[in-house]
Amino acid sequence: MPGSAVFRREFPVKGGDFSKAGTVACRIKDILKELGLDTQTVRRAAIASYEAEMNVIMYALEGRVKLAVSPGKVRIIVDDQGPGIADIKLAMTEGYSTATPEMRELGFGAGMGLPNIKKNSDAFHIESQVGRGTRLEFTIHTNGHKP
Amino acid sequence: MKERKHYHSIHITQDKCIGCVHCMNACPTKAIRVKDGKAKIIDERCIDCGECLRFCPHDAVHSHTTSFAALDAFEYKVAIPSTVIYGQFGSASLPNEILSALRRVGFDEVYDPSAICELNTAAVEEYLHEHPQPRPFITSTCPVVVRLIQRRYPALCGQILPIEPPREIAAKILRTILPKALNLPPEKIGIIHLTPCPAKMVSINSPATLKKSYLDGAISIRDIYPQVLNALRKSQDDALMRHLFPETMFSGIGMGWSLSGGEIRGLKSHRAVAVSGVADTMRVLDQVEAGLLQDIDLLECTVCPDGCVGGPLQVESRFLAKSRMLQLVDAAGDRAVVDHKDVSRLYHKNFLSFDHPATPADTLPLDADPAKAIAKAQRREKIFKKLPRKDCGVCGAPDCRTLADDAVRGLAHVDDCPFVKKEKR
Repeated sequence: MPGSAVFRREFPVKGGDFSKAGTVACRIKDILKELGLDTQTVRRAAIASYEAEMNVIMYALEGRVKLAVSPGKVRIIVDDQGPGIADIKLAMTEGYSTATPEMRELGFGAGMGLPNIKKNSDAFHIESQVGRGTRLEFTIHTNGHKP
Repeated sequence: MKERKHYHSIHITQDKCIGCVHCMNACPTKAIRVKDGKAKIIDERCIDCGECLRFCPHDAVHSHTTSFAALDAFEYKVAIPSTVIYGQFGSASLPNEILSALRRVGFDEVYDPSAICELNTAAVEEYLHEHPQPRPFITSTCPVVVRLIQRRYPALCGQILPIEPPREIAAKILRTILPKALNLPPEKIGIIHLTPCPAKMVSINSPATLKKSYLDGAISIRDIYPQVLNALRKSQDDALMRHLFPETMFSGIGMGWSLSGGEIRGLKSHRAVAVSGVADTMRVLDQVEAGLLQDIDLLECTVCPDGCVGGPLQVESRFLAKSRMLQLVDAAGDRAVVDHKDVSRLYHKNFLSFDHPATPADTLPLDADPAKAIAKAQRREKIFKKLPRKDCGVCGAPDCRTLADDAVRGLAHVDDCPFVKKEKR
């Protein structure tokens, strides 16, 4: 029965596949719109999930984006197998970036990724192991449903 | 059939429709279903882009525009054509001759739109100077883009640059000056746009950013084409003389407005990007919604391929029309005909602004109750897994995902799928 309903979806992301950049974030955005979430929540989720998806594409070998929507909140978990982040505190600094010149040429890697995800979510958690991968978890609370 | 709640220019002529799937597959917002052998348009989803009109092989998609006969209601008839009209009659007919032919066809006055296009560019530049945030702003010239944003990208409503497009500005100026100049009551003066697309009719009949449109209607270029061609032929012998006495000074900055990139060509100190075609427009709006392209000041979007010159209600091949327009742009060069001080004065009087911002339209969530919407989304995934993913359209929905969506909304049944039905037997 509804009450405790959670809608879950999982999306694979392939590292280095710039041609698919943004497709997962776009899919998430469409789902949230169909679920009737308010405009602001959808936009925050779109921005945060785009940044997270791009981090996997730019740095990792592969990853998975897990979406869980329950009444009142959107939770997104992004797991990747990749180089990991040695200094999370530094990576969370606005403007800090390890993007290569090629990535910058494509318009990516302005060093806004992680801080931007945090800014657009209500709860944010990051774990990383160098040489293994990174796990991001962020939650966005909805501002109530539009009628 | 249920009456359509919102005004739309696009309609299906039931007698001509044979219930094939061309229009349904072409629709970018998945607004068409084939039920009981006929195509039906879902009111809330239709953005009047006219893609169905292009793809229907049976001439069954009809667009409602103003008829020439309807002009008889007015004592004084004024035409404001889209610059697209200059590219319709080959390179032998100059813009001045086309304007003059329109007068002979029955308009009391015809105004060249290129100067007003230049005025709009100057006003947009001033607006961008005064408003450093948000970025990018999106132009409002294409009414389909405005409707697309209201329905599919509601978060971007505040990024539509709030200056009215040239056709409305031109009509507003004429509404202000003509009644006094002609000593006629305003309702006796008919101001008509000549349009390459059906969407202008929607922006006139249900404006998104004005209380009321300043235009009285829009005649399609396709409808008026034969008469103009005829008038041009009759005056062929005088054409040479008229070349020597041009009546109108055309703006080089405004001339190319109907080509993709034309709106932003005259911007001097801002970074702008032009996108055309409905699929690419949706792609770029997706990016803007994800917070990208903030280093761009202005995004010009037109849903017709190559800009208004690719509109479904023009006549000439889009490629020939484009080539002709480029010739004219080249000939006019960077000639400016508008005084920026005048534009600035009008701009600061708010004469060029929207009456109100575009507001998000009602979207169609799976359910108003969040828990029920989630349950329906779960059910939809289950239904989708049963479907063959051939997207054949035989069920009457454009693809399997849409059938699953319709099924949980109670608008279709999973057994409408011929593959599911066959398996059950």
